[in-house]
Parts: sequence; C-alpha cells; structure tokens
Amino acid sequence: MRRTAHQPNHTAIPALVLFWLLVPLTPLLLWVVASRWSGTARLPQDFGLRGWQEALDAGMLTALVRSALLGLAVALIATPLGVLAGRALGWRLLRRPALPSIVLLAPVVLAPFAVAMGLDVVILRLRVPGEVAVVLVLSVFALPYTTFTMRATYLALDPALEEQARVLGASSRQARRRVTLPAATTGLVTATGLAFLVGWSDYAVTLLIGGGQIVTAPMLIGSSAAGSGNDSLTSTLALSASLPPLVALAVFTYAASRRRTAAHS
Amino acid sequence: MLLIVAVTGTALAAVIATSLGLLPLVGQPRLSTTGFTSLSGDLRLAAEESLLTAVGATLLAAAMGMLIATIVLHTGRTGWLLVGVSAAVVTVPHLVGATATGLLLSDVGLAQRWLDVPVTAWPELVGGRWPWATVFELAWKESAFVAVLVVASVGRHYAQLREVAAVLGAGPRSQCRRVLLPLAAPALASSSLIVFVYALGTYEVARLLGRAFPEPLPVMAYRLFTDIDVASRPQAAATAVVATGLALLAAISTLPLVRRLGADR
Amino acid sequence: MYPRLARLLLPAALLGLATSACAASGAPTSTTTGDRSWSQIADQAKGQTVDLWMYGGDQQGNAYVDDVLTPAAAKLGVTLRRVPVADTKDAMTRILAERQAGTQDGAVDLVWVNGDNFATGKQADAWRCKWSSQLPNMKFVAPDDALVTRDFGTEVDGCEAPWHKAQFTLVYDSARVATPPTSMAGVLQWANDHPGRFTYPAPPDFTGSVFVREALYSTSGGYAKIPSQFEQGAYDKLTPQLWAALKGVAPSLWRQGRTYPRDSVALDRLYADGEVDMTMTYGSATLTKLVADGTFPATTRVLPLHEGTIGNASFLAIPSSAGDPEGAMVVANLALSPAQQAIKADPDTWGQFTVLDTHLLSHADRARFERLPRSKVVPPYDVLSRNANPELASSWVHPLDEGWRRAVLGSGS
Repeated sequence: MRRTAHQPNHTAIPALVLFWLLVPLTPLLLWVVASRWSGTARLPQDFGLRGWQEALDAGMLTALVRSALLGLAVALIATPLGVLAGRALGWRLLRRPALPSIVLLAPVVLAPFAVAMGLDVVILRLRVPGEVAVVLVLSVFALPYTTFTMRATYLALDPALEEQARVLGASSRQARRRVTLPAATTGLVTATGLAFLVGWSDYAVTLLIGGGQIVTAPMLIGSSAAGSGNDSLTSTLALSASLPPLVALAVFTYAASRRRTAAHS
Repeated sequence: MLLIVAVTGTALAAVIATSLGLLPLVGQPRLSTTGFTSLSGDLRLAAEESLLTAVGATLLAAAMGMLIATIVLHTGRTGWLLVGVSAAVVTVPHLVGATATGLLLSDVGLAQRWLDVPVTAWPELVGGRWPWATVFELAWKESAFVAVLVVASVGRHYAQLREVAAVLGAGPRSQCRRVLLPLAAPALASSSLIVFVYALGTYEVARLLGRAFPEPLPVMAYRLFTDIDVASRPQAAATAVVATGLALLAAISTLPLVRRLGADR
Repeated sequence: MYPRLARLLLPAALLGLATSACAASGAPTSTTTGDRSWSQIADQAKGQTVDLWMYGGDQQGNAYVDDVLTPAAAKLGVTLRRVPVADTKDAMTRILAERQAGTQDGAVDLVWVNGDNFATGKQADAWRCKWSSQLPNMKFVAPDDALVTRDFGTEVDGCEAPWHKAQFTLVYDSARVATPPTSMAGVLQWANDHPGRFTYPAPPDFTGSVFVREALYSTSGGYAKIPSQFEQGAYDKLTPQLWAALKGVAPSLWRQGRTYPRDSVALDRLYADGEVDMTMTYGSATLTKLVADGTFPATTRVLPLHEGTIGNASFLAIPSSAGDPEGAMVVANLALSPAQQAIKADPDTWGQFTVLDTHLLSHADRARFERLPRSKVVPPYDVLSRNANPELASSWVHPLDEGWRRAVLGSGS
C-alpha cells in the first residue's frame, strides 16, 4: 500500500465524520443517564436511572413490542413489492418509467398531510379495520424507500448474469434466487430495514388511522416530548426505540455476510 | 403499483377537494378558491422558507452522505463502525433529533456551554432569521440515510472494481473520481431527491427549531388545520396542495437527470 | 388493457366514495340515554372497554389514570384504556374524521377537552349531548357555577362532564425578579424595563392565546368592558390598544420580538434555562413536580395579579361516534366522585383542582379536601382563583389569534 501524504488525513477525516454523526446525539445520551439536570450546568448534577424508571412506568416495553410487530408487517409487504418495482426500474424493464417514478415519490411528499386531510375519512367510510388500514397505508409510505433502494441496487447489477444462468438451464425463479438476490443482499437488507423503520417510527398514521388501538413507541415519545420536564423520559424512550432496529440490523448483516463468505468459499 | 396509485391518488384527491371547499366539515360543499387566495402572501413566504430549508438540507446531506460513504468504502474496520453509527442515526426519529439539536444549539445550549462562548455572542441558530438548526438537523439525519443507501447499493461492486482499477495503476483519488462517483451517482441522485421531497413535507423539525414567522408550508398547514375555526381547513388543504405541487415539480424536473445517471453505466 | 382500466377506475371509484361523503353527515343519532335510568346505564357499561384519549405529556396525570382511575373503573366492570396524544387536537382530528364518516363504533369513547377543542366539536356536532346531568355525582357540582355551565362561552348543554378547574398562572423566578409586578400592565412594564427577559408563546398556541386575552382584559379596562360573544364592533374598538401595547413591548422581548416560542413547552424551556425570568401556564398542577425534579429553579413562585386571571374548567366529553358511551359515562361519573377528586387534588398525585363545590359535600368528604397537603409552589385554589376572570367566548379566539399574527407577528397577505 503506497504511503501518501494524505496519511494524517486518514484518521482526521473519519474522526470528523464520526463527530458529525455523533454530536447531535450527545444531549440525548446525557439525559438518558441524568436524574437531575437543572439550569445551564455543563453536565447533569445527578446521574441515575430515573429516565428508565419513568419509561417503564409509561409502558415502554409493550409499546416496543407493538412497534416491532407493526414494523415487521410493513417490511413484509413493502420489501417484496419494492424488489419487484426496483427491479423493473433498475433494469429498465418498463417502456415509460417516468410516470411510475413520480407516482412512487408521491407518498413521501404527502405522508404528513394525506393522513389527516381526508384520507382518514375515506378509510373510515370504507369500513376498513383500523389495524389493517395502518399497515396498508404505512406500506405505501415505505414503498418509495424500498423501491429506490432496490432500483439503485439493480442498477449496479448486470442482468446478463441472470440471463446466463437461465441459458445454463436454470428456471427464471432459480436464477433469481441463486444468482441475483445474493448479489443484492446489502440492498435487500437496507430496503427491509427502511421499510421496518417506517412502520417502527410512525406516529400520525398509527394514531389517526389506527384509532389509537395500537399504542406504539412513537406515540409515547410524541406525548412525552409534548410536555415540559420530560427530557430524561423522552431521551430514554428514544434510545430504547433505537436499539432494537440496530440490533436487528446488526444480526441481519452478520448473517448475510456469513452466507456470502460461505457462498464464496 | 396499483396500491400506491389507489392510496395516494385518493389522498391527493381528498386534499385537493378540501382545499376547494368540497369536503367541508360543517355545512354544504361549495366550490371556491378562497382557501388559496386568502393566504397568497403568506403562502409565498412559507413556500420560500420551505424551499430554502429543503435545498440547504439536501445539498448538505448529499455532500456529507457521499463523504461518509466514500470513507466507508475505502477503509476496512473504520468503515463498519461508520456504517453502524449511520444506521443508528437513521433510526432516531426526527422529533427526537430536533429536540436534541435544540438542546445542543440553542442560545444556552450544550454547544454554547461547552465551547465557553458568552451567551450574547452566540449566533441565533435556533429560530433565527436563517434556518440553520433546521437545515443542520435534517442534513444530519438524512446524510446518514444517503450514506447507508449509497453503501448498500454500491458496496460489493465497488470493491471489485477498485481492485481492477488499482491493478491498472489508479491511485485512491482517481479511484474515487472515476469509479465510485459514477457508480454511486444513481443512488446519490435518487436519495437526494427523496431527501428534498421529504424536507419539503416535514413538520416536526421546523416546528421545533424554526422561527414563528414565516413558517414552512407543513407547519402552516398543521396550524391552520387544527385551528379552532373549522372553516380554516380549506386553507390548510390549500397549503398542503402547494407543498405537494412544489415537490412534484421538483421530482418531474430532476427525474430525467436521475434516469440519465442510471443509464450511464 | 384491463389492468390499465382498473388502474384508472379504482381511484375514481374511491374518489366517488369520498365525494359522496362531501356534505357533512346529518345530525348525530339521538342520544338515547335520556330514557334509561342510571342503574340501567351502569349495567350496560359492564364489560365495555372505554378508550380515554388524553394529553400524554404530563407523567403525573398518566400515572393517576393508570394507577388510580383504571383500577377503580375495573371495580365497576369497565376496562379503561388510556390513549396518549401529544395534543388534544390530534384527538379532535380523529373525532371529526369519524363524524364526517358517520362512524357509529368509533375508537374514541372519552376525551379530555376544554375550551377551543370543545367549541370546534360543537361546531361540527361531534359530541354526544344531554348526558352529563344524568351522572349521580353531578349533584356535588354547584348548579350555578359559571365555569361549568359554559365552556369558553359555549353552552355546555350536558355535552361534557366537568373534571378539573384551572387558573391561568404567571410564574416567575424570585431569585431573578427583584420586584415582581402585580398587574398585567405591570408585567408589560417589567418586560420593557428588563429587555430580553420576557416573552410569551405565539398564538394559536393555547397558552399564548390566553395571554393575549389577558392583555386584552388589561388594555380594555377589565373583562366587563368586553362582550362575551364576539362582536366585530367591539373588536374594532378594543383591539387597537391591545396591538399597540403588544407591539410596543415587542422590541424589549426575548430575541427583540422577532420570533416567539412556538408553544408553552418551548417557553418553559427558555425559563428553565434562564433565558427568560417568567413563564406562564394554564395547568398549574404541573408546577409542583417541575420544581421538585429540578426542571424549574427552586425559587420559582406564582405571580398573583391583583385584577385576577382567567380561570376555566376542563371536561370529559363523549363523541357522538363513540362505541362505548355507557362505559364512558360511568368513567366520567367515577372521575367526578368526591373520592377521586380528592385523590386527584393532592399535589403529590396530580394536583388538579376540583370542580366540586365543597359545601355540597358530606362532612367526611369535605374533611378529605381540607386535609390535602399544600404545595410549596402553588397556592391553594381558593387563593389562586381569587378574583377569577371568566373566559371570553370561543368566537373571540380565532379573530384574536389571527389579529395577533397580523398586527404583532407581521404575517398577513
């Protein structure tokens, strides 16, 4: 490896980037371990587990479970659809991709508004059960993320590989499963993760369309953040709400990389 | 695809109908454009504020996201750490990120306390003339999103191409420029578009970190929608329509560029 | 061919459905509780699950409902489920949507409302009415209590049952304010003399809105000078002085009045961080805990105004689309009982003032209230509500909020 003059930068820039990513989290992390932080002190006056106690009292554990189930449901629907659509866009299988692309972006724009300004009335009129409607609407909101992720992934893949597999005698389904999907693993994991996050971190749809029947972690966070003096509770809830997706992602990535190295050897 | 069209189409139709007075809460529907005209001055200011925030956030997020992705793809172990931290940042809800940014950047926030800058000399980052804090928070979280997306779609492929380039004698810099950037361009472009469209529609961040007037479009829409006078709902919907229109305009105008980047393989 | 056709037809069909809902639904189905006795209602309530939607930012309130009210309701056979919302307006959005859709078995059975949200719902015919007089515990509420018979100037009409009383309170830090002002005009003068040390939340935030109304009382020479229902003539006559006063003090406010805190939570944060020396709240019950856990400085005190401040009551209302109205009525009655009101009024539990008239209670119940511990920060209700001013009607709220945004904030097309 050539030693270049950039060597000192090799630690400075990643450190700066790490700083950029972590700095906004510092108030959160401090509040999680603070039991008393008054006025403008640099650090909390007392450290303690007050936030965790308050979070448990607020019903955090059951809320996290419900959030997880919701996230899973959304991921299960949005990821396969995203794979199909991303494949169509990435491998340019559509004659006129412009319109679907725009349509795909619409949920991202409308997300906050659509729910409250008429969509909820229509869903109520259609007598769709609240929980089902929540999952469907959230899947629609997650689709842009999964589709664009998979589109970018498929763009980096060569369709010729799959064709070659088929020429060599594999059925199209086998070709897809054995050749293309393993190569798209990182993209798949990301897409699933993003879809899961949409379901995991939603407030408006769960409340307004779900009718408050499912009390999820974001609802607890939103309520806590709407009051004064709740900083330790909000921070603890937020941290607890961040850990499970991270753990899941770590496990997923590890498993995926194991499978990849196994396939390579 | 059908699902998206159904849900978003209905939502969009409902919003437009409300803005034109066709879906009143009280009384009979009556077609009128007072929803738009009674607000024209405010709408223009709000749109300017929204666009300013969105453009700033997108540029910064794209730049930082690309930087993070480059570092991740060029280094080994540090790369995994950065990906993990980026994924962590993506899981933090915007509401919490905004609260934390407020705690950090306010006039007597953590940054001011730790950097020992006197209170009077601290710039108005939160709720000031320019939306520094809002742009920072959006850019911070979305840069992690961009980074994760780029890494996911490009990762393995880039590793292989890098080896080839290195064999052909290219140094790390030109590897970056000639190989990584073109490869990452589609992912970068589509994720930036998503970031821009999302920033146009985001409500919580601007509400917490922005000034009271002029306020971005989604904040204005929510304020009007929840007004005590239900006759303000058409105005709220009109604001929503304007925001959606801006986002669609952005999507339509940049989508050809995104597609062309994908075609340049 | 067919998929394309389907793609066009489906949204059109949905749109058709939506527009068929264009006109707001007709009058709600008549409340049939009038012809049932209370014991029949209580019987029907057994086994029902009541979804209570209430503001979830107050941990003490949440704990009270979860740990005290819910078990008490369970003893009556009703399962109480608390749904936390960040703002009652979110609950209103759901209720109004259910109303517009004509739902009968709605997801909101009971909601903690007052003032503007109640008025919004009444405007849209969203409440079940004429039921609160049937509650047995209503006999402990003074029948002529102005705070209970009218909510923000709107006739309650039995559409909601009272729950707490509240008093708009200004709060200051006695360590930073050497000579506290004693009137609203004094507060504005104090703000002028101490630049950058005072501000108020921007209407239409609820607390900012009531502050503007307090200022209107002050500049108009008292609430008696203002017609309680909105009149354009009175508005045009009285508001110029109000806007002049608020615009006049603006350059001395925090950030020179270029921006205002978005809501009372933001103002509380400014106060807690020492950027301003005063804050304000309509829910003084939270003050005790805020001082106890160190959020607010220990030298925080309530600022009494000699002309009094605005007081009101908050209620529990049942939407017309509620699915379990009998259970909701039972819970509302339970919440109104002397036992529950006394527990709720303890500052260590929640500290919410009672709506009951203690003179109407039995000796034992009255003693319960007299035995309540006192908060170190908040004076007892009878002291706090001395000279309580009534609220203006809700028809005033929107014009005043809009007027403030135009005159003081500089918006307006």
